[in-house]
Amino acid sequence: MPQNGVCIRTNHLNKTFGPIPAVRDLDLEVHEGSRFGLLGPNGAGKTTTVRILSGLLIQTSGTATVCGFDINTHRDKIKAVTGLLPETPGLYSKLSAVEFLEFIGALNGYSKDASHRRIDQLLAILGLESRQDDLLESYSSGMKQKVLVASTLLHEPKLVFLDEPASRLDPSASALVKELILALAEETATTFFVCTHQTSLAEDICDVIGIIINGQLMTLGSPQEIIATAKAANLEKAYLKIVGGKVDRQALLAWRA
Amino acid sequence: MSHKWFAITKAEYFVLTSSLRPHRKIWMSILLIFGLIWAAYLAPLFIGVVVDFIMPLSEFRGLLLVMFPGLMRAVMFLLFMLLFLMPLSYALQEIKIGQWEILFSNNVRTRDILIGTFLGKIPIYGLIILFLAPPLISVFFLAFEVSLLGQALIYGTLLLMVVTTMWLSNFVTAMIQSKLGDSPRGDDLAKGLAMLLAVAITCPMYGLMFFAPQLSSILGMNVFLLFPFTWSADVITWLAVTFNGLGLAGIQIAAFQDILQLNLATSGLLMVAFSIACLGIGLAGADRVFTLRMGARTETITTIRSENLLLRGMRRVAPGAFGSLVVTAFKDFFRKVQNLSRIAYGVILAVIFPFLISTITFIDASGVDLAILVLMSGIGMTLIGGMTFAGTGFLESKNQLWIIQSAPRGGSRYIKARLALAFLVLLPLTLLPVLVTTVLNGLNFILFSGFFIFSYAIACGSAMFATGLTALNPNYDDTRSPEHMMNLMMSIMVPEFLMMSPMLLIVIGAIIDVPLNRILVNIFGVFGETSAWAITSAIPILVVSGLVVYLGTRSLGQPEY
Ligand SMILES: Nc1ncnc2c1ncn2[C@@H]1O[C@H](COP(=O)(O)OP(=O)(O)OP(=O)(O)O)[C@@H](O)[C@H]1O
Ligand SMILES: [Mg+2]
Repeated sequence: MPQNGVCIRTNHLNKTFGPIPAVRDLDLEVHEGSRFGLLGPNGAGKTTTVRILSGLLIQTSGTATVCGFDINTHRDKIKAVTGLLPETPGLYSKLSAVEFLEFIGALNGYSKDASHRRIDQLLAILGLESRQDDLLESYSSGMKQKVLVASTLLHEPKLVFLDEPASRLDPSASALVKELILALAEETATTFFVCTHQTSLAEDICDVIGIIINGQLMTLGSPQEIIATAKAANLEKAYLKIVGGKVDRQALLAWRA
Repeated sequence: MSHKWFAITKAEYFVLTSSLRPHRKIWMSILLIFGLIWAAYLAPLFIGVVVDFIMPLSEFRGLLLVMFPGLMRAVMFLLFMLLFLMPLSYALQEIKIGQWEILFSNNVRTRDILIGTFLGKIPIYGLIILFLAPPLISVFFLAFEVSLLGQALIYGTLLLMVVTTMWLSNFVTAMIQSKLGDSPRGDDLAKGLAMLLAVAITCPMYGLMFFAPQLSSILGMNVFLLFPFTWSADVITWLAVTFNGLGLAGIQIAAFQDILQLNLATSGLLMVAFSIACLGIGLAGADRVFTLRMGARTETITTIRSENLLLRGMRRVAPGAFGSLVVTAFKDFFRKVQNLSRIAYGVILAVIFPFLISTITFIDASGVDLAILVLMSGIGMTLIGGMTFAGTGFLESKNQLWIIQSAPRGGSRYIKARLALAFLVLLPLTLLPVLVTTVLNGLNFILFSGFFIFSYAIACGSAMFATGLTALNPNYDDTRSPEHMMNLMMSIMVPEFLMMSPMLLIVIGAIIDVPLNRILVNIFGVFGETSAWAITSAIPILVVSGLVVYLGTRSLGQPEY
């Protein structure tokens, strides 16, 4: 299991898609029980990183260990102890929420009876119990996201990858998911690896934050450290300073001429 | 008013020709120029040579003249089906109301959409006609020695018919799309419908291939005077007759009058009136028919009630995680209309096939030829197994694949569950035709059992091939993708070929003087020669399909590069 409390360690991780570098020389260390936030602009390489670490994508070069397992040789072991919330929901349109979760449970080796209690309780926590027997095709995108959150946590993973967990959720649902993450991290020592571009979400739940731009890790530290070094009022301002989100009014309107 | 319809035309044209994208203009010009040369010069030349090669035209001509009216109707019927149903089936596979919403929000009128999408299709379908029509028609141009004016008029008629049909098809497509809407359920229904339409297209094609004479005589019947394609066909016949260079006159023309019943003027008038009516209805109906209920997910919500007996039984038999996966696979499979229409297709095939086989095997009165029975049922079973499980309905999207892959050995568990589903579904689909065959041919119980095992093995082998191939080359829910075409074609053709491969080997063996037949019988012939046949026919499918499943499972479990 994790050596000296390190859950994820990457070593010069690189990924290129043809000519496009998606991840460049990534060196990361995420500690067990921590809540790591990976921030960055669109196309920075966040999703690519998560896919590599969860064993779905093969890196171009470099190495990494996840929960003590090498990503090159022990993918199935990694998959057994991690959960992944993908960026876009790939649900079965013709299954109900309960049936879909049963399916995910079975993929992870649980029989129906073994997963049923958890499914009911997770759906109740997420406020879906009144709709749990409706086909997923009729769910709103936020409801689908909730089902996916449930599917990610179902087999009680030690490490959870969340790719944009709250992008489709309403404020109260997003607060709920935040609380769920915090509670799981504190009570069960689950490690979270969260990709997001919502700085407020990262500020609220993460104890370590990395900012990645064009595949390169630019900044690493606790939210407070990052805010302090950037001399900003909050994480959003700090993010904008680091990423270079300064906007030029003139340029914004120039296209109308 | 800018030319909104023109923008839509361009978009549609770009979509249809996207495979030629880098050099679209050059390719289309080359195709057009070559098409024109083909139509005006090469095709007649080529056909002339072929006809001369088969039989001098002078001996052949009489037959051609007699065949012409009926055959013309058959061809026009086929063309009508093709032009009407093909775009419809194609469009239904991907309902584009999302695009419509964008168009409407840009203040485009339905009429513009109709005209735009229609004109956008013309180049590509025009080219298809340009390449397909000349070889068919040239024979008759030669037979009747039709003058140039006549040829031009005939091509004009053909063009009118093609354009009218496409306009009609375009209108109906748009209407169905707007009715089904952009709801998952509508989308699902549309896919199911598209499958059935595809069958409706293929059946007449096969029919024409095998039963051309009968079909044309059927289509010669008077009922068909009610159908628009008959009118165009008859106009073409009349034009060929009128502008003939053979000196047909008087009595001969009266003979055509007897067959066709309507004269040139009447047929022509009907045809033109039909075209104008179509155009008018389309234009006038456009803005009235399409009052889109904006917004997706307006359909009723389906709530799942308790599980049925079958599913509960399955859970009883396999209580663990695997049972759960199979039950889920069942639910997913049977809730998609698309799959239901495949099953329906399978059942129809399963019932029709034994009848076909019996008519073939009873050619002489000496009783059933078991070997032929085995061979024919084998072909039928590869169709049923391959068709039902090829291509779609396996994975809905890439994102779904990510989810499955993020479970340990998720890909392999998933495929196993899918195979279990296929094997179970194929049980009744095999039992049905085998029972019918047994009854029709009066087989005894032992033959019935052997026959069933053989058919089931072939069907399962084909389904394994289809499943493994789809895992190797997933096309997700995209029935328009080249991957889907490939999966479907291969899943039908390869198992069929594999099943017949022992026979080919034996034939080759006979040629090079190796008595393969005797060797095989010696090895597998414990139950007699026919059983040796059956076993040797089943083995290649099972072996190759097993391999394909293995490869598919591996590729599904592999992370991406
Ligand atoms: N399958 C792929 N094929 C080719 N290029 C890809 C693929 N997946 C990602 N990329 C490229 O890799 C880069 C990083 O993409 P990635 O999805 O990791 O970004 P991201 O940080 O998750 O962005 P977002 O915030 O928009 O989700 C992008 O330039 C993208 O175009
Ligand atoms: Mg992303």
